[in-house]
Amino acid sequence: MSTKSGRKVVWGHLILLAAIVGVVVAYLLDARSVSLRTNNLLLVQPAAFLAIVLAAFVLPGIFPRADAAEEVEATGETWGDLIRVFILIVALAGLAFSLEVIGFDIATFAFMVVALAVCGEKRWWVNLLFSALFTVFLIYGYGTITPFPFPLTIL
Amino acid sequence: MTSTFSRRTILKASAGGVAFAALASPSILRAQNAYPDRPINVVVPFDTGGYNDRLARAFAPFLQQQLGQPLTIINRGGAGALLGHTFFLQQPDDGYTILCTSAAPYLPLNILTQDASFKLEDFYMVNLPSQDYTLMATSAGSDIKSVQDFISRLKADPSSLSVGLQPASADLVNFHILCSANEIEVDAVRVVTYDGGGPARNAVAGGVVDVGFVGGEGFLPLAEQIRPLLTFDTRKRDNWDGAIVTDVLGADADFVVGSQRGWGLHGSMQTSNPEVFKTLVGAIEAASKDPAAIEALKNQQLATDWYGPEESNQMLARTAKVMEQYLDLLKGN
Amino acid sequence: MVELTSVSGAFTLLSSDMNAWLYLLPGLAIGLIFGAMPGISITMAMAFALPATLYMDFLPAIVFLTAIYTGAGFGGSVPAVLMGIPGTSSAVATTFDGYPMARKGQHSEALGVALASSVIGCLASYVILFVLIVPISGVVLKLGPLEMFAVAVWGMLLLGSLAGTHMSRGLLAGTFGVLLGTVGMNTAGFVRGTMGIPWLLDGVPQIPAMMGLLAASQLIGLINTTYLIADEASRKISFKKILGGVQHTFRYPTIIFRGSLIGVIVGAIPGVGSSISNLLSYSETKRNASDGDTFGQGNPKGVIAAEAANSSSEGGAMATMLALGIPGGGATAILLAAFAMHNIVGGPSFIANNKDIVYAVIFSNFAQAMLLFVVGLGFVYVAGYVVRVPLRFLIPSVLVVSTFGAYAIEGSSAGPITLWVFSVLGWAMVRYGYPVAATVVGLLLGSLLEGNLLRTNQISGGDFIGYGLERPWALLIFALMLGSILLQAISKRRRAKVAALSAAQ
Repeated sequence: MSTKSGRKVVWGHLILLAAIVGVVVAYLLDARSVSLRTNNLLLVQPAAFLAIVLAAFVLPGIFPRADAAEEVEATGETWGDLIRVFILIVALAGLAFSLEVIGFDIATFAFMVVALAVCGEKRWWVNLLFSALFTVFLIYGYGTITPFPFPLTIL
Repeated sequence: MTSTFSRRTILKASAGGVAFAALASPSILRAQNAYPDRPINVVVPFDTGGYNDRLARAFAPFLQQQLGQPLTIINRGGAGALLGHTFFLQQPDDGYTILCTSAAPYLPLNILTQDASFKLEDFYMVNLPSQDYTLMATSAGSDIKSVQDFISRLKADPSSLSVGLQPASADLVNFHILCSANEIEVDAVRVVTYDGGGPARNAVAGGVVDVGFVGGEGFLPLAEQIRPLLTFDTRKRDNWDGAIVTDVLGADADFVVGSQRGWGLHGSMQTSNPEVFKTLVGAIEAASKDPAAIEALKNQQLATDWYGPEESNQMLARTAKVMEQYLDLLKGN
Repeated sequence: MVELTSVSGAFTLLSSDMNAWLYLLPGLAIGLIFGAMPGISITMAMAFALPATLYMDFLPAIVFLTAIYTGAGFGGSVPAVLMGIPGTSSAVATTFDGYPMARKGQHSEALGVALASSVIGCLASYVILFVLIVPISGVVLKLGPLEMFAVAVWGMLLLGSLAGTHMSRGLLAGTFGVLLGTVGMNTAGFVRGTMGIPWLLDGVPQIPAMMGLLAASQLIGLINTTYLIADEASRKISFKKILGGVQHTFRYPTIIFRGSLIGVIVGAIPGVGSSISNLLSYSETKRNASDGDTFGQGNPKGVIAAEAANSSSEGGAMATMLALGIPGGGATAILLAAFAMHNIVGGPSFIANNKDIVYAVIFSNFAQAMLLFVVGLGFVYVAGYVVRVPLRFLIPSVLVVSTFGAYAIEGSSAGPITLWVFSVLGWAMVRYGYPVAATVVGLLLGSLLEGNLLRTNQISGGDFIGYGLERPWALLIFALMLGSILLQAISKRRRAKVAALSAAQ
């Protein structure tokens, strides 16, 4: 995570800041391409410039001195922990994008099983039972009060 | 307000309950092939609480009486009804999904300005009972007394008055028509854009803007706080004072009608499921003419007039055509 | 302002139909349960119940629906405290201190504080409404874009105090939020930043984005923790502590009063309402508190400020609805529909002709607030058990519930997808010291800010100052805002002086 000089690079922070600035710039360009009228840019343009200026102020925080304690990545975190976080994020993405495609029942159950395992439930039968019960409970619970039906495959 | 612990309430509630149970009873009890043998979805492409939502919910009990199956209201709001309209067309045209929408201006707007994946003919309007119109109004205490007053002031100085309206609306088109007919420099008028009819009307009633061009039906609850100046229709509507458009622009006045709201089906159903199609059209007609429905909806300031499919579709097509002429205006500045 | 004949008429009306009161309890219970489910809005709860009122008489129908309104208003605070999920935008500020309190093992107290300040706020708002309904309604319609812009700017002041240790990161997070809040079609009809996705035309879905930023991001970060509350002994849910929280609330009458006043006034403005009032109240309380630095770390005053304001907004919204016949939001639109179903049409004449009904509604809301206290105590006691569920069950369950809620409120995968994007963003932001709350505030205020700035520009023809001088209410709001900032600076200096003096001694 660190370079050999007196300064380190906090890569994760760099990616985050690049993403924020990237979104801001892309948004500004898109807005300008729609129209240059005041009615379009009155707030968006100054706010985007402000965001870019602020990002420049944040930049030094990404390259802290090697001895600065403040900017170290979260302590005591192992690669294993980080991988579990990423599995959870990917599983949540799977849930969000597949709900309407494969049905709420299957998607929810699958997510529950994976997420429970990632979060540390080691007894497989507890996992399956809880996931199944919770899925059924949620689908009927939310299903009765939302003003439209959930797409389902099995239930 | 009855003063007893009323038996009537209980009777009514239980009658309602029995009726509901009968309607919701399993389809096994009914002949399998007779349409409809399961609940029918009503797609409302707007959020709960708006005109179409209220119309659908108020009309549903009467329509389900005709169809013998419960109706489920599905709100799919967003993107100027584009999402709801697209969702509706994606459902099978088997008569188990029907539509309650502001066909005009939203269908033409979706098609003309939002690159919608559908055409007008994909929808078949059974009845469009609610025929809104643009009302030009000012606050009750305003010193603008008439349309002529408005015109002469703007002619003298186009920036002397502020005008509240919604972008990409029939009201905007009507405002432009009125200005160009009177040689008012429209770009110099202080036009204030609002996100919805409600906020625009509130601004008119509160005198925040000098004049507003907004859908007239929504002005009814605010009647005491505004002064109507001009109704964009060939006849007087809702007993508003002030002029009608033909008084100002002549007998062959060019103008755009407002929202046309009501009931629609898949256009393709006419050929794919003609029997079901006939049943549905018949049921909507019968429910629209049901005196109980007419009274219930009237109380909620909702429309039930029966125009029928032929006239409804013609009205919609006509509106779409006029809107096409003003494409540049609708597409934005 | 209060007419005694109408008041006695209201009592006659209320006592005439005793079965109206039977609907109070189920109404509150339905409201609480619906409100506590993330993504189920008050409007949905009321729309769900509306058909049932068709078979009721007028008074029971209105009592039932307003009870749901009241119940759902508080229901949203329960997940906000226990899991940091703002199920509705009116509970955003509740999460700022409520959730940290829960993490510290003070969940019982936090829930007690939230319940008590909601009940008192609700009561206070109806007292204010009782006296001020006519004057309030006279002002509401006259509020123009500059006034609304002033309110939005006032809300933005909160960004400064949310920033925390890294001021530039805080402001960047807030500005980023504002920009995201303006995505989609703006008030003048220009479409920006939608990337061709139709559902972005209406902007970034707010509630899923908030749930992602504030809640899901936290949960993802908790994956290596076994329980929400580290200390096992603190995990107990105790009735005594809930009541202790209730009692604690009474020590801050100023905060409650300020919150209620902000809530009523902001709640009365159509289209603004409780989602802004809780932020304003929180921001003002934090700025004026001697221990303002501890806000955000579990200071009960923050919960009191937020809850007093969001529950009293209900009274404000009712004032606008009753006096003008204008629905400020979805919930009051449904109430108006219910009025109409019984041949009663809202509007200025309504209040003149039906004063007894207006006062009856107000009185029945007094009763609702009282009963909410009792029902709410039981409800939070049961809900509190959530903290005893091991996180390995809680994290997946809450993520799924949030996903369902996001779907329910948007009606399509747009909700869950937004939730996901913003939970990843939020997780990364928290990791690198950016205050996610600032982004949420920006997101909530973005379109309000832009729309009203634009309209001010349109209406004034670009002459902001000339126009501003014609708008006394806007000047008043700006003056109040400046006064509040100055006052804070002065009292801060005084406190610093006192601290320096005591240190020297």
